[in-house]
Amino acid sequence: MKVFINFVKGFKITGRVIRMLILLFVINLAFSMILAVPMYRSLEESLGNSLAGERMAEGFDYLWWQEYRDDARGLEKTFTPTIIGKGAILDNMESLIQMQVFDLPPAVLVFGILYIILHTFLAGGILSVFRKGEFQFSMRSFFKGAGAHFFRFFWLMILSWMFFLIIGTGVKSGLNSILDGIRDTAFSEITPFYLGIAFSAVVFFLILFVQMVFDYGRIKIVLEDSPNVLASAAGAFGFVFRNLGSTLGLFYLLFLVQIFFTLLYILIQGVIPQSTFFGVAMAFLCQQIFVFGLIGIRCWLYSSQMELYRYLK
Amino acid sequence: MLLSYATFLSSSDEPFCKQVANYTMNVVLDTEGDTITGEEFLTWTNDTEYPAEELWFHLYWNAFKNNMSTYMIESRRRGRNPTDFAMDDWGYCRVDSIFLIDEENFEEFDLSPAMAFRQPDDDNVLDQTVFSVRLPRPAEPGQTVELRISFLAKVPRPISRTGVYKDNYFIAQWFPKIGVFEDGKWNCHQFHSSSEFFADYGTYDIKITIPSSMVVGATGEHREITDNGDGTTTHRFYQHSVHDFAWTASPHLLEFKEDFEFAAGKMTEITLLLQPYHTKLKDRYMNAVKNAIRYSSLFYGDYPYTTATCVDPGYNSRSGGMEYPTFFTGGAYFITRKRDDSPEGVTIHEFGHGYFYGLVGNNEFENPWMDEGFTSFLDTEVYYAAYQNPLYTKRYFGIPVSFPEVEIPIESDGISSHRQTWNMDDMQRFAWKFMEGESYGANSYSKGELTLRTLKRYMGPDLFADMIKSYSQRWWFKHPKPKDFYEVVSEFAGQDMSWFLDQFVYGSGKLDYAIDRITSERIIQQEGWFGGGYIDGSPKNRETEAYESEVLVRRLGEVKLPIEVLVVFEDGSEFLENWDGQYRWKKFTYAGPARIARAVVDPEFKLVIDINRTNNSMTQKSNKTAPIKWTSRWLLWLQHAMEFFTVFGG
Repeated sequence: MKVFINFVKGFKITGRVIRMLILLFVINLAFSMILAVPMYRSLEESLGNSLAGERMAEGFDYLWWQEYRDDARGLEKTFTPTIIGKGAILDNMESLIQMQVFDLPPAVLVFGILYIILHTFLAGGILSVFRKGEFQFSMRSFFKGAGAHFFRFFWLMILSWMFFLIIGTGVKSGLNSILDGIRDTAFSEITPFYLGIAFSAVVFFLILFVQMVFDYGRIKIVLEDSPNVLASAAGAFGFVFRNLGSTLGLFYLLFLVQIFFTLLYILIQGVIPQSTFFGVAMAFLCQQIFVFGLIGIRCWLYSSQMELYRYLK
Repeated sequence: MLLSYATFLSSSDEPFCKQVANYTMNVVLDTEGDTITGEEFLTWTNDTEYPAEELWFHLYWNAFKNNMSTYMIESRRRGRNPTDFAMDDWGYCRVDSIFLIDEENFEEFDLSPAMAFRQPDDDNVLDQTVFSVRLPRPAEPGQTVELRISFLAKVPRPISRTGVYKDNYFIAQWFPKIGVFEDGKWNCHQFHSSSEFFADYGTYDIKITIPSSMVVGATGEHREITDNGDGTTTHRFYQHSVHDFAWTASPHLLEFKEDFEFAAGKMTEITLLLQPYHTKLKDRYMNAVKNAIRYSSLFYGDYPYTTATCVDPGYNSRSGGMEYPTFFTGGAYFITRKRDDSPEGVTIHEFGHGYFYGLVGNNEFENPWMDEGFTSFLDTEVYYAAYQNPLYTKRYFGIPVSFPEVEIPIESDGISSHRQTWNMDDMQRFAWKFMEGESYGANSYSKGELTLRTLKRYMGPDLFADMIKSYSQRWWFKHPKPKDFYEVVSEFAGQDMSWFLDQFVYGSGKLDYAIDRITSERIIQQEGWFGGGYIDGSPKNRETEAYESEVLVRRLGEVKLPIEVLVVFEDGSEFLENWDGQYRWKKFTYAGPARIARAVVDPEFKLVIDINRTNNSMTQKSNKTAPIKWTSRWLLWLQHAMEFFTVFGG
């Protein structure tokens, strides 16, 4: 019950700070455009004045893409048919769970790290707004809050990376070794397949668990103005383990919301024809609404978690 | 008490060709030691004009005897270390005795003192994949010699499409196999990392004794099953007019048989040996084999054998995707999508080898493109005739996800690997002499396929169809060389086609024609004082606009072929130009009332092997919608990734 109460409360709180969501969305879009411009230029140059441009306007010209892929360097390698619809989401999920992020081109990797650090900075602002409870969003107080907590959030992020490293190099490697051993002696591909799914689920759960714990670490820092990063992290672990049902319940409830929202997006975008400029514009609008929604769900998670923390404390 | 069960298929035992190398064998599989003990009776006929003083044999499994065989050394050079073998994992084939049988005088001559291992390709004295025996008297032209060979073959852990994994045996290239005597010499190469096989046609009459619990499949007709009463069963397989014999045995295989009429009055019995965890794929496998037989018969001649056996390879058996006469392996994953061409693609390909290498018996060592390229061409022609275009599919966590927006056209097959390797080697090269494994694969499979598809579109589909069917049937049960294919192509084309074929077969250039530029400039009209008076050339006084247009076409590659260029104007008028494609460039100029809208090299896409297709066309205005559309779709992936990966931060 307390999970649901704070779930609803978090939604209402998030709904009152639409301007903050818009700010976060604009930052996401503006940051993305930094790489979108060279990608556009690359596609424009490759398609040039060729009839491949007309075919790609109407659909997906596999023959043109084969050529593009065979010559692709750096960022260009990320342009594949899987960016269509569900593929984009599945690609990112697989990269995360299989820890393939380091397989991304250097430009994307560096860019991603910068964005993570930026988002760590912004998280301070988000939580400050939710802490105050005034819901009168102002840029000044948002960035003041972001700045005030960035140093501690940054070190908390570094500490979390150690846990992610343990998951990646320790847990995942260990599970992979087990899986390889089973594969080498299995009668069929079925057992390794299901084990692989199970192991991926374990890794995914651990990654999300660490994220959740460090969310509470950040909440602790903001609510209690805790100066000690290690103590805040330890306190967050303690809080989560003492309230495992509530914290996990709230987290996965919002995770389900995200899944549902994503499926809805995949369904809708699949029916938008994109052979005309108008269709492309509609699809782009739909995409951006989806991204805005993801940002909203992230903020909803933060506000719900903060309310749950207050409730249980 | 011994029980016998005999089954005879309604087949003719009349061979389709001269049976040069006939094998009658009794072999016993020992599953405890993973060995095959065999007695082999070989009758070999010297079908040449030259006497044979020696006989040469392959012992392919000695490639797996130790890590110093030619096969292992070459594998390591290619960055593949195929073994982390324990003592029992290695394989070999050992000749225990070899006797020449003189039936006339009821004598046997022991040839083993005259046995010698040979290394005709690389002088690696540690390689024992070829041996020879000297005959007491030369075998004269037309003479038949009979040999009795006792051998022991140790089954390796799976390597190079053969071996044993748990209780799943796939046995290929397993017995002492005589080489090919031609032009007075033995053509009997060592087993290389990237080579395949070459042998003469003959009759195989093989009895295999295995544990009774096992299901067995092999080349040819399953003629007899005899329960020996001691826990073993002897299976007799028989096939004439083939040049190889392989078999599989496993207690887990499910056997499905179906008589299939692939053309009016033409039947063959399909046997499908399926893994128990792939029962959902039974219909897909069966239909793939049927489509392969049906369309291959249509395109290349009626399938002549009474049987076709398809084996769904066991997991970890490394026997998938391989071919033997009338017997081949497929390959599939237990989860598959309707249009992701698995198991159809590999099944059709491996059946197709029944034609190119099986019926048309090219030397896979020396002319690998003549079976791999032809079969790659065959499998896509059959697949695209029988099925819808496959969809782009990617596996996520082992689950295939298809993308309905992305259909894969037939012209995409092979071009990527050709693009990466076009300048590494000529297509015609001995299999082990390519620069590296990637080049062997690309030149043998991809470039061969692309060359044939380009030839087909150049000649025209009907003429090509007649040509390829004639070539196929003309060279059944023979050993063609490249010149033999050339002859048939030239015959049907009505001209010597070596100018076309040489560039691909014996060349390593690329084919790349491009539209370099299109321009249309308004013709400057007269304006001003001229002898006859003043001419007012202002726009309101012009009756019509006139343009001087130019198309520049360039040959960027080394391959020279005649091409067509389509030029389309804004008023809808079109010109189809022809260019011999010889020089480096060609200009086409026009004067008319409209500007050029677009120009296209090779508008009918005949030059499938053109390495850069995007530069084949040019329009006056670039299409802005496409880069915007696809950048925005890519942007979603990036934006989602950024939000998704904030799990690592705040």
